[in-house]
Amino acid sequence: MALKQNMSDWAADLINSKERAAIPIMTHPGIEMIGKHVIDAVTDGTTHFEAIKAIASQYPTSAATIIMDLTVESEAFGCRINFGEHEVPSVMERLVHDFETVSNLKIPDMNSGRIQEYLKASRLAAENIADRPVFGGCIGPFSLAGRLFDMTEIMTAAIIEPETITLLLEKCTKLLLQYVLEMKKTGVNGIIIAEPAAGLLDETLCEEFSSKYVKLIVDATQDENFMVVLHNCGNTGHLTQSMVNTGAAGLHFGNRIDMLKVLQEVPSNILVMGNLDPVGVFKMSDAGQIKTITSNLLKATREYSNFVISSGCDTPPGVSQANVDAFFEAVNDFNYNNITSKQLTY
Amino acid sequence: MENILEKIAYCTEFGKINKVSPYPPDMKGQDGVDELTKLALEQGVSPNDILTKGFVLGMERVGKKFSENKVFVPQMLISAKAMTTGMAHLKPFFTSGEVKRKGKFIIGTVAGDLHDIGKNLVAMMVEGSGWEVIDLGVDVNSDKFIQNIKNSNATAVALSALLTTTMVNMEKIVKEIRGQVPEIKICVGGAPVNQEFCAKIGADHYSPDPQGLVEYLNRLVA
Repeated sequence: MALKQNMSDWAADLINSKERAAIPIMTHPGIEMIGKHVIDAVTDGTTHFEAIKAIASQYPTSAATIIMDLTVESEAFGCRINFGEHEVPSVMERLVHDFETVSNLKIPDMNSGRIQEYLKASRLAAENIADRPVFGGCIGPFSLAGRLFDMTEIMTAAIIEPETITLLLEKCTKLLLQYVLEMKKTGVNGIIIAEPAAGLLDETLCEEFSSKYVKLIVDATQDENFMVVLHNCGNTGHLTQSMVNTGAAGLHFGNRIDMLKVLQEVPSNILVMGNLDPVGVFKMSDAGQIKTITSNLLKATREYSNFVISSGCDTPPGVSQANVDAFFEAVNDFNYNNITSKQLTY
Repeated sequence: MENILEKIAYCTEFGKINKVSPYPPDMKGQDGVDELTKLALEQGVSPNDILTKGFVLGMERVGKKFSENKVFVPQMLISAKAMTTGMAHLKPFFTSGEVKRKGKFIIGTVAGDLHDIGKNLVAMMVEGSGWEVIDLGVDVNSDKFIQNIKNSNATAVALSALLTTTMVNMEKIVKEIRGQVPEIKICVGGAPVNQEFCAKIGADHYSPDPQGLVEYLNRLVA
């Protein structure tokens, strides 16, 4: 039975809590915990769910998340995908290249590619993880359009062929809207929309080619029982207001941004998540370093009750369990000391 | 003469490709790099000046603005597109040897990785600073890197990766290139790569942005 959770209340509870919530975007350690490979989880909804469940059983995350796989929707459109046993999938080649090919592009249905497997993983997670909200995931409209049009080419086409890219974005948004509504039906409590490519744009282009379309999805899907979190790990600080403008109730930031500046800019009723480096910290540091870096970020952001500590992006395959343990130990220590010091003050 | 070179530099900097290009909006209907380069050659301007005082200068200016977060990837790429359009007119002079480049630079995304936007951006910036760029594309293994280094007598090679899983392949490729061509400078870059990783795998240079790499390469031949 899926957890029916008023997400506005949930967010308010996190903001009012004395404890700092932790929601790392983390599924790959779960895949390793159940003895499977990346390819198993990204192609089979049940395996994917088991990995999510393993993380939820082992760690006190404040919400469960699914794999940030940015190829599912491109594959549904018809892109060829490269799958590696231990690697996240990637798009092999562009599908469209001009106005005509974009005009001819058909919007796929919900039985295309691996969409049903991702819906299945979300449904199983929603039904079986009852002690915390579950967030589904999808790619953002501009990042999807970039995969279909070629990421390098779309950057210039947005400027010199805006009508082509606008048409492509309309088609991408139609698919995403349908997908998010289907995901909502699975019982998940929200969705993380991953829009990393928008981070490469300036503010004006981001507003025109990303945020406007993200807002359409937010407006059509977000309600008190379903929260949208917008992830943009490419934003170095120039796009924060544009992210706020989408209306998403949660914003998720990458490791290149100054988290304190973000917290100063974002309204205090929006959850702000981030931003430990998934590679430099989670994967390449040792447990002691992770504890120190996590602890430093928690201390630096202490004043901001809407902050949720997280990884700056999906933690990659190959992160050791010792490192994940160290992250949660640091969160636990911080919360313990925070509560103890508050009690002493009274 | 100086005026037309400055115009080429300006059009490169602001990404004015040709007359029909709608960008930048305030230059609509005006000649771009394409027309101005042709005109400059017709007027007898030296191809070398067009390269150094036009394209290279324009790309230097936009590269600096990119490093300072004053412009972003689309503006950089459109400048590079303008530069490439103009550069096509200089091709016969490169072939004849009348225009000399600073050296040869090889770049590729490492084996297992199909991402190329970072690699493309770097390739265009390096070309725009006066180097001959040999772009090996994506999913490049050490044999292909080594073969091209040997065949081209390149000064430097750059390895790009976006995935953490393929970043690991960099170490093997660096080691194999070192074993076969010890004198070549090896540069690494990409979202998950940092200076610490660069040092750990024995590469010569890491830069978080293309401009840093351009400066490094230019120091090699200064």
